[in-house]
Amino acid sequence: MAGELVRMEHITKTYGRVQALQDVTVTVNEREILGLVGDNGAGKSTLVKILSGATRADSGTIYFKGNRVKIENTGDAITLGIETIYQDSALVTQLSVARNLFLGREPTRRIGLTDVLDKGYMKSQTRSLLKRVGITKDIDPDAPITALSGGERQSIAIARAMFFEADLIIMDEPTNNLGVEESQGVLRFMRAAREEGRSSIFITHNIYHVFQAVDRIVVLRRGKMVADVMRDDTTIEETEKVITGLVDTRYSAAVQ
Amino acid sequence: MTSQGDSVIVSVNRPSGRALEKLTSIRELGPFALLIVLSAVFNFAGPAFLSTMNISNMLSYVPELGIMALGMTLLMTAGEIDLSVGALFGFCPVLMFVLYNQRVMPFEACFVVVMLAAIVIGLANGLIVTKVRASSLITTIGMMLIVRGTGLYITSGFPQATWQTESWIKEVVVGIVARAGDFTLLASLFWFIGLAVILHFVLNNVRFGNWILATGGNVKAARARGVDTDRVKIILFVLCATLSGFAGVMDTLRIEAAYPIAGTGYELEVIAMVVIGGTLLYGGRGTIIGTVIGVLLLRTIRNGIIVVGVPGLAYNIFVGLIIIVMMSAHALIERAQIGES
Repeated sequence: MAGELVRMEHITKTYGRVQALQDVTVTVNEREILGLVGDNGAGKSTLVKILSGATRADSGTIYFKGNRVKIENTGDAITLGIETIYQDSALVTQLSVARNLFLGREPTRRIGLTDVLDKGYMKSQTRSLLKRVGITKDIDPDAPITALSGGERQSIAIARAMFFEADLIIMDEPTNNLGVEESQGVLRFMRAAREEGRSSIFITHNIYHVFQAVDRIVVLRRGKMVADVMRDDTTIEETEKVITGLVDTRYSAAVQ
Repeated sequence: MTSQGDSVIVSVNRPSGRALEKLTSIRELGPFALLIVLSAVFNFAGPAFLSTMNISNMLSYVPELGIMALGMTLLMTAGEIDLSVGALFGFCPVLMFVLYNQRVMPFEACFVVVMLAAIVIGLANGLIVTKVRASSLITTIGMMLIVRGTGLYITSGFPQATWQTESWIKEVVVGIVARAGDFTLLASLFWFIGLAVILHFVLNNVRFGNWILATGGNVKAARARGVDTDRVKIILFVLCATLSGFAGVMDTLRIEAAYPIAGTGYELEVIAMVVIGGTLLYGGRGTIIGTVIGVLLLRTIRNGIIVVGVPGLAYNIFVGLIIIVMMSAHALIERAQIGES
């Protein structure tokens, strides 16, 4: 069994009077796809936002590769090797494909006293990355994002995770606005990333996608973790019941 | 099935993609064409327009509003706006001469003090907008009143004596660089050109420029990529305030008069120059080249209508018309882009 990549321990978070997360402990192993499921408001997004630096926990600790880490902002998470792919792709539509891909970590060349954007490198890398994520159509790296379809936009975010060689890829509802073929592309990407030794957290409402892709399933309900099981040890029906709160007992036993 | 559908869309999209690129570049081309046409019209109606004296005269006026417009361009590209620039334009030189006329410190020190004052005011604007999350429109209206009010208060509304200044600063900022017949070239023009070149480079060729564009385009996405959008905005508020104070000092040293009401209404003229040039009012896209054209355009109109004999009081009518025409053109192009993609 591979070792632990991330451990989030005793994570608690409240928004005003709403207890979003209550003493949640979750781990992600190396070379693992973890499915994080739960109803609306269960706390899935809050949990991964803490991990990606978009928000901070009230209490709890995070370990990454065995070291206790502080993730205070998105830059910290990216530096650690945690890439997040959001449902709306989080792209700047006015910027070109290449500028989006490298946003925040633009490659530069030193010319005289200043670091100048290495536009040639950005373009060539963008071209080859888009091929790697399976976009066959010839997209101009200088084209604005508005020229791309929803699936292609999602691919930009995926290409980013590939380029920066993230150890952990968080996918927050990545298949939400995608067609069937494009969704399969996202699932293929997660499996390929696992083959390369990376881990993913996959958040989705689509329970069928979860069962197609993940190794392990964690269920959150109203801010608490109510299940942590290997996919092969459960069924779609059972998981749905746990999500909605119809079944508790067998699963609760599975949580230490 | 899907891939077939995609390829059809692609082949349809490709020619219009090229056309789109061309349309986008019209952002600067439109105002540029207007500039050429108006210059020709003005020169036809009043041949004095393109005389060396008039051009030299115009070029001495261009840098001051122009430098303010450069700062505003970057700030607006990042999705914020600063309405206190006109007040700073008036306040900084007035403070400088109030200090200088007390004879407590040398002229150079006064200059440093007012530039620091401008930095502090810009910093205040930036911190309030980013940390308190107040609207920049309202925050900088407040700042405009505070700064303008302070200028009026410390002078009791009177202009400050400026004629005793002899300093190398004056030479560096607005000294005469070249003179040929009735054509004079002031140092201020080179400040404007230099700053325009630097800021154009910053916006398009360094990481910070990409962050400015991303901050104005989609602040959430920029933050998700680790861009410190608050820092970007604060830096630009400081830049905008500093350049405005500097422009005010430049103006005062050139005309040798420091009026506490100088620069009234300049904030709107500067914003007009920026948006006419093609920078988006709500951020995400900005062009220094466009702004330079916008500056020249409005200056040409102001000067041209007088040369051809239209009463100067009619100036605002023309500016208003051009703003509406250019904005409509930009909006139509924008809609065409969205419709096609």
